[in-house]
Amino acid sequence: MPVIEPHGGRLVYNVVEDLDKARSYWEIPTRLEIKPTLGPDGAPIRNPYREIMSIAYGFFSPLEGFMPWNEVESVVRERRLLSGWLFPFPIIFDVAEEELKASGAKPGDDLLLTLKGRPFAVLKVEEVYKLPDRRELADAVFGTPERNGEVVKKRFDEKHPGWLIYRSLKPLAVAGKVSVVNPPKFRDPYVRFWLPPAASRRLIEAKGWKIVVAHQTRNVPHVGHEMLMKRAMFVAGGDRPGDAVLVNAIIGAKRPGDYVDEAILEGHEALNTAGYFHHNRHVVTMTLWDMRYGNPLESLLHGVIRQNMGATHHMFGRDHAATGDYYDPYATQYLWTRGLPSYGIDAPPHEVDKGLRIKPVNMGEFAYCPKCGEYTYLGMSYGDVKEAPLCGHPPERISGSFLRGLIIEGLRPPKVVMRPEVYDVIVKWWRVYGYPFVTDKYLKVKEETLEVEL
Amino acid sequence: MTYKIGLLIDDKRYEAIKDLPFASQLKAMFGGEVRILEIEVDEETAKRILQAFPSARVDARGYLEDLPVAFKRALFEAVVKTRSIGKEAFEEVFKNLDTIVELARKEKEYVPPP
Repeated sequence: MPVIEPHGGRLVYNVVEDLDKARSYWEIPTRLEIKPTLGPDGAPIRNPYREIMSIAYGFFSPLEGFMPWNEVESVVRERRLLSGWLFPFPIIFDVAEEELKASGAKPGDDLLLTLKGRPFAVLKVEEVYKLPDRRELADAVFGTPERNGEVVKKRFDEKHPGWLIYRSLKPLAVAGKVSVVNPPKFRDPYVRFWLPPAASRRLIEAKGWKIVVAHQTRNVPHVGHEMLMKRAMFVAGGDRPGDAVLVNAIIGAKRPGDYVDEAILEGHEALNTAGYFHHNRHVVTMTLWDMRYGNPLESLLHGVIRQNMGATHHMFGRDHAATGDYYDPYATQYLWTRGLPSYGIDAPPHEVDKGLRIKPVNMGEFAYCPKCGEYTYLGMSYGDVKEAPLCGHPPERISGSFLRGLIIEGLRPPKVVMRPEVYDVIVKWWRVYGYPFVTDKYLKVKEETLEVEL
Repeated sequence: MTYKIGLLIDDKRYEAIKDLPFASQLKAMFGGEVRILEIEVDEETAKRILQAFPSARVDARGYLEDLPVAFKRALFEAVVKTRSIGKEAFEEVFKNLDTIVELARKEKEYVPPP
């Protein structure tokens, strides 16, 4: 059985690997240093290099570069690229006026983008445009309770990290195709998890996997996550040994309080190395992206990324890729069962023309039942239907916040909540950074070192 | 609306409260592997706590979570001092709120690993 087709029918691979050819680009005189997007307190909240990597290595296929203004308009109006393929977020290369002036870049030029002063990528400039009021742009990207009442419950504001990214963009934007002309080397531990779409597809083919269920993560896994991953394989109709879970961690700037990226990756890896997942049916990978925490919109991006990586199914749980109470906790399930007409998506993403081929596995939550001594399924809440445990006892939910509270007080979580090998990974990186979770200091260190070196 | 704060009770903390009336209300979680002292928080008190500590939030169960360790320690000490899990305990904590906020600020960057 062939691996599922990429979104848009063709996998993008804009990476110049031939060293002589690559070096010829390094001499381009029109150049611009890639700079992070900073939040109001000066903390880095995004680095566009991650978007360049994700475009060039095909994670965002069929997207080939930064969007021109009419494509941004199309995306916020109906979540479609100019080619008609579904895509959730505007991908914008923003610049300050003085930076652009100093570079001398204009439409028709090849613009060499440097990273930490080293040649990194080339942007073929198609258009330079002025961004509108960024507050309005951010609202248009994420929605408002008035316009998108089916899933947006509260107006977005500066406390929402994704909204803040769009709100903090610089005033000008440069659009055009991007190619990586100096493929970077990943630092440890990221190098072990870098499996871009072409390589991921080769792995799936070599393993003979037929059902591949993607699991989105920005978290160190607790046992509730493990239950979700394992049960999603049953729901997807896994045909052991031809099925597998593809864990894909989003690596980039995150909100303070999330786990550090290294612990997220190695925590999931620990499930594999300690045997909670058979190593032949589980792989841990990553995508570079500064999370927008866009719940249903983020789930659409996740569908794009994981279909491009070769996953046949995507598991979506409660509060998918969300923070705060801006969206309905089941907004993602709403999208994948009914569509989101107010965002221009009239049917589920896998049922519309030029939509996705990856299929959703919508899941509710699992909770631990002390009486049964195992996890019980709670199901989902929709309208008047409220989630209810499968067993007849009162179960105990694993709240991520509760778990963080337990950890920060220096207590080892119970084995039924977190595998000891996973907790050991948290402590390992706690010793490195002096804190188990993302802090402003961590974000600054991460921005200085990034995940790669050139 | 009433919220809750769950204070984790390890053996050392248990020793300090075992003779107090509410010790019998300790909740065992996850098959008895964790003991929790549940403290009810009224809306006004919850608002004050959320304002003082920006990282704190209300989770899906209605618990105030992501509270600084300094606050939880102070609350536990106040519970022992006032022998109460009611408003008196919070009033005791709020007497030293500025100091706790300062401690919490430092805690944002460094907490010694176990």
